[in-house]
Amino acid sequence: MRRYGPAVLLLLSGAAILRISLFSEVYLRYVQPGLRPFLIASGVVLVLLGAVSGWRSARDRANHSHEGHSHAHGPRVALLLAVPALALLLSPPPALGSYSAEREAARYAAQGVGTFPELPAGDPVDLTLGEYTSRAIYDSERSLKGRTVRMTGFVTREENEDDEGDDGTWYLTRLLVSCCAADAAPYRIEIREADAPPADAWVTVTGTWHPKGDLGTDGAWPPVLDATSVKRVAEPRNPYEKR
Amino acid sequence: MGERAEAGRVRNQRSGAADGVRLAARALVYAALGGLALAAIATVVSVLGPVLALDLATPAMAAWWTVFTAVVVQGVPFLLLGTLVSAAIGAFVPERVFGRLLPRSPALAVPVAGAAGVVLPGCECASVPVAGSLIRRGVAPAAALAFLLSAPAINPVVLVATSLAFPGQPAMVLARLLASLAAALVMGWLWVRFGKEEWLRLPERRTSSAGSGAPRSRWDGFRAGLQHDFLHAGGFLVVGAAAAATFGIVVPRSVLDTFTGSPWLSVLLLAVLAVVLCVCSEADAFVAASLTGFSPTARLAFMVVGPMVDLKLIALQAGTFGRSFAVRFSAATWAVAVTSSVLAGWWLL
Repeated sequence: MRRYGPAVLLLLSGAAILRISLFSEVYLRYVQPGLRPFLIASGVVLVLLGAVSGWRSARDRANHSHEGHSHAHGPRVALLLAVPALALLLSPPPALGSYSAEREAARYAAQGVGTFPELPAGDPVDLTLGEYTSRAIYDSERSLKGRTVRMTGFVTREENEDDEGDDGTWYLTRLLVSCCAADAAPYRIEIREADAPPADAWVTVTGTWHPKGDLGTDGAWPPVLDATSVKRVAEPRNPYEKR
Repeated sequence: MGERAEAGRVRNQRSGAADGVRLAARALVYAALGGLALAAIATVVSVLGPVLALDLATPAMAAWWTVFTAVVVQGVPFLLLGTLVSAAIGAFVPERVFGRLLPRSPALAVPVAGAAGVVLPGCECASVPVAGSLIRRGVAPAAALAFLLSAPAINPVVLVATSLAFPGQPAMVLARLLASLAAALVMGWLWVRFGKEEWLRLPERRTSSAGSGAPRSRWDGFRAGLQHDFLHAGGFLVVGAAAAATFGIVVPRSVLDTFTGSPWLSVLLLAVLAVVLCVCSEADAFVAASLTGFSPTARLAFMVVGPMVDLKLIALQAGTFGRSFAVRFSAATWAVAVTSSVLAGWWLL
């Protein structure tokens, strides 16, 4: 078995990468869409490498069956590769949800008050949480005023856990991933005028902007939306915010 | 005589055919056994899986698994690119090429190698195996280490990402380039002056199977090198990913916001954060841009330290160069990188 160890590890890793990138879109739970071609290429290289390695080991063995264990076998630390590979093959970990969103400080878009390009036409207009947030906090033209917007995210509840009385405040939340899930940071929009769905449920919220605080100040955080409809939806293909 | 040669050839052919049959039979047996084992595992998992999943699926555990897997998935393509380059260097590039390209004196070779880091478009996972193979190929360790540090920080992909993350602030891109390059060169020169060869323990790479003893082709050397380097570095990538995921769960980022008041503390804090978060160098600019509570110099430190010292990198270096090297080198690099980004920040930002 030791002889085939490297081949098995390479095949496992390659198969795991292909399973999440080529045969499904599970990879979107972990990394950016742009990485897909590189993941597929890596998976193919690993599978080929594993196949050649296994074939060589088998041939060497047939040719030198009496020379015992003098053979090169893989470094032992490589066995650890089996852990993520098996996890991805058997039960891929879920996308990050409300647990991570509540642990991280809400994302403050890095910009000052200014003007924004005109909102696209459409009623309601579809926005990402990031677009809504920066317009709600920083747009001196107040382009959100009078528009009906529609956004999709998951539900997080009021963070104050020591606050016994849950006042029903809830947020439409979505995580922004710059590179991989390790750097996820949340956008959070307070939803009013609607009852809270259970935490982590994916919802599409339609509503209008509820101005709050002075532009660009701490008082404006978090942005608020008066909901007219809250619809339960399935988890989107890409669970993270579009960058 | 002709007859005897003929008989020998027939015998050879016969044994060759027998070998082939034996091989095929063995492959069949393995496939059957392996298939049975896989089927058994799949059955057990599909029956027990939901039960186990319920136990393991506390939100913290689930988040740990996701971050852990994400760091590995993100790292694999770049690691593979790095090991492809390093295996190619090992198998196809003769030693004298580097001797001719690099100045003989290590002190002069350091800046050349450091500037050459521009050509490896990738993140830090790729540069460790490449630097290892450069040293094996007789490049002065000081020069290879300068390359190791500069490549992930100053290549065009990373600089473009930085300019996208900090729109309208070209000074940030320039400061990152200069501070990273300076830190890499200083570390190279420090190694020339103080470095000891015995700290470096490059693992023997068994390129040929000891059993066969026959000389192998270059392609075989390439394949064996690639396989060994990828498995080796991949194992350490898993170690680093586990460390990063653990820190991410134990230390929430919101705790850090309490430190934003003092400019000095905030530089040190982001320099530590860069080590702990293990954000890939192609994305760290976006993360740095989102840390709006911190001074520009602190954010610069985050981007200079991150590609040079982080948990997964320390694990990778420990695997490639030995543990005693990784500890000393990472500590010194951290200090040099922080100093150089403070100076660059004070000058440019």
